Amino acid sequence: MGKYIVKRLIHGLFSVICVVLLVMILVYSLLERDKIFSGDPNYNHTASNNRITYEQSRYEAFGYVDYIPYADYLRDLTKSGEIDAATQTEAAKLGRTADKDSEVTAEYTAKFRAYYESKGYQVVRLDADTRKNGQLKDGGSPALYATKDVPLLLRAVRYFTGMFKIDNIHYVPEDAGLEGERGLTFTAFDPLYNTGEKKTFAPAIIGNGTLHKYLLYFDGQFPYIHQNFLTINLGESYTVNRGIDVFTTMTDSQGSYVLKQITYPTGVVLERADDLHTATYVQGSRDSVAANAERFTDDYTNVDTYKKGMSRLGYSFVIGILSVIMSYVLGLPIGLLMARHKEGLVDKIGTVYIMFIIAVPSLAYIFLFKAIGTSAFKLPGLFDMDSSSKLMYILPIVSLALPSIASLMKWMRRYMIDQQNSDYVKFARSGGLSESEIFTKHIWKNAMIPIVHGIPGSVIFAMTGAIITERVYLVPGAGNLLTTAINKYDNGVIVGVTLFYAVLSVVALILGDVLMATVDPRISFTTKDR
Amino acid sequence: MVETNRNHGLTDAELFAPMDHSALESEKITAPRYSYWKSVFRVFFRNKVNIVILALLVFVVAFAYIYPAVTHYDQFANLMDPNSKHLTPAAAIKYFGFDLKWILGAGASGEPTFDAIWNGSRISISLAFLCAAINMTIGVILGAIWGFSKRVDMIMTEVYNIIGNIPMILIISVLAMLFSPSFWTMVFAMTVIGWIGIAYFIRTQVIIIRDREYNLASKCLGTSTIKIAMKNILPFMTSVIVTQLATELPSYISYEVFLAYIGMGMSEQSLGKMIYAAESAMVTPGWELEFWSPVAIASIITVVLYVVGQNLGDASDPRTHM
Repeated sequence: MGKYIVKRLIHGLFSVICVVLLVMILVYSLLERDKIFSGDPNYNHTASNNRITYEQSRYEAFGYVDYIPYADYLRDLTKSGEIDAATQTEAAKLGRTADKDSEVTAEYTAKFRAYYESKGYQVVRLDADTRKNGQLKDGGSPALYATKDVPLLLRAVRYFTGMFKIDNIHYVPEDAGLEGERGLTFTAFDPLYNTGEKKTFAPAIIGNGTLHKYLLYFDGQFPYIHQNFLTINLGESYTVNRGIDVFTTMTDSQGSYVLKQITYPTGVVLERADDLHTATYVQGSRDSVAANAERFTDDYTNVDTYKKGMSRLGYSFVIGILSVIMSYVLGLPIGLLMARHKEGLVDKIGTVYIMFIIAVPSLAYIFLFKAIGTSAFKLPGLFDMDSSSKLMYILPIVSLALPSIASLMKWMRRYMIDQQNSDYVKFARSGGLSESEIFTKHIWKNAMIPIVHGIPGSVIFAMTGAIITERVYLVPGAGNLLTTAINKYDNGVIVGVTLFYAVLSVVALILGDVLMATVDPRISFTTKDR
Repeated sequence: MVETNRNHGLTDAELFAPMDHSALESEKITAPRYSYWKSVFRVFFRNKVNIVILALLVFVVAFAYIYPAVTHYDQFANLMDPNSKHLTPAAAIKYFGFDLKWILGAGASGEPTFDAIWNGSRISISLAFLCAAINMTIGVILGAIWGFSKRVDMIMTEVYNIIGNIPMILIISVLAMLFSPSFWTMVFAMTVIGWIGIAYFIRTQVIIIRDREYNLASKCLGTSTIKIAMKNILPFMTSVIVTQLATELPSYISYEVFLAYIGMGMSEQSLGKMIYAAESAMVTPGWELEFWSPVAIASIITVVLYVVGQNLGDASDPRTHM
């Protein structure tokens, strides 16, 4: 069995990679790349040459091109010791046009051009953009850069290799001025819980030189033990949640801040919402921001905040899992009853319900249900993160369960009826068992086997949320992430979310097969020669 | 008397006249005349409910095509008239005088809601029929090949696993961005990978029937694969295909409504587009009809299509022809 699962996992991994490649072709090659600026507020604030260089730098950030500005090239030369700082400043002064360059600048621009053109880059020189009176326009200063398109395969390789980031003690660069020695320290007394005299036991691993300060810690939030050694990077968002990774966008809590009395490392006590466990390193942050210098003893100053609501995944999962439970609890017994009294009243009503759900557009019955729920039962029709009322969950959960109840009823009835004509049922009947015994002890168990196959899938896909339900009830869940990303041309999010879905569906299928084989001893994947 | 009776009034010479031996005639088997499609419709029309629903379907489809063509619906005809917008039926009839087109009131640009929903129905029904025709044709043919050939099966199953994981809305929206979000783009987007689900379904059905004894016997007698597919398996599949068509047809209308609702619909004023545009009208007192009319007509069309298709599917199963 183990070998079989490994084989399936490798197979699944292959499909996932193919899916990501195909989606990358769709969004990166087929779509025009300047679409990504349509949701960027900064783009309209840039003008003239600055807009062109801004475009290029954004293209680089989202993996379209390799982009090297002339200034970066000079800085690298200085770093490697080829030129001194004075030459760097001198050479960086570009003339308004190429023939107005000073001698030093001309020398180094020629070198820059020769170097990058030999590597297959396209070198672009933008002349100064001037008004009629000779003054520079806003953002019209001259620019020089080299750029090269990244081929799709290379960007796919970069995407997959950059997906998992392992935090290490060499993260902070040597010249950043890190205080103290690099290394990991284990402490049984987490300093954040031990600000007073009394010692409280709370183990933690604290790093210095790493990106995160706390690499392993306990706190009062689900799942209580947290790690920062490994971070998953599914792709950076551009417009949906600017600069934030897709995975973080899905898992970060939302809503209004929860203020607490927080004792900062310097001993300052303030009422704020900062979660000090999430501190990450920002070079020179205490020198540039006075408030950081007042609160922190090192440059691990970038912290997340405590928020009242759950994460997108959290909301989707809570609503999804409750609706899954509801649909199994209702759908299976009703399907069983329908099969038991075939052509009876329950069967007829159930068939009409199934037909209604399959034929009527889902949008229509969800709105209809919402209208009934809000007017007849006075249930809240809109979701509010800051409200503590549990009533607002009812309508989304039931709306989400309506179609799955119908499909479970349909399949349960079908499988039960198929089993009814089997030989073992006739044998049991001839042996004198009562109809209800046959149904509950024999047919039910056999009819459940194909149903069991779908259980892991429905639980796992409860996480991804439902597009229409979340839109109709304004649930801040994960279901709308993909559609929002598509509407805003946020390619990083599109690829990230697709990858996430693909992994979930592969895992769900494998778990379904495994569960089916566990429930039914006749099914074996290992002996079958396929 | 007895003699003549037994011979039906014929002489022995007449009774025992030698016949020419005909090899062709001797092969004929006499059986009651059976026509498959005649039996299908006999079974279908035996149920009186089916007649009513089929009549309703014909009426709805015919009305959706004829009515907009006759009335020349123009969405922006009353755009300049500020008093014509968002009218309840009573107000619209009072303002414009009684006409069939005002019985559901007026919409956001002063257009008659009744005309708008029929125009929308025409577009949605056309989309559903076109997509279903294309997907079913490609799906059934490729599904049959997929089920027959083991080599094709191996490759196609991999392809299915991969393509099945690409979100459909992604493909549709990318295509809509590449071309304009027009009717034909939508048809293309829905059919470019839409057939694969049907093909997979047909493949499974073919595999179930493919290795039955009668096909094995047929193969041993030297029947070509194409003939087995066309004569032995296709008749078996008819009811399955019709039943599948019954779920496919309404699903395109529902899917179009869904796409339009999340803002990825086509530019034509289809039912989905109307629902999307009127979403805010749902909660505004007096404007509700603008939202509920397209929802209701979409539901009626899909339910009628589904019921007719399902019952036709049942009737096309030869086992019900007894």
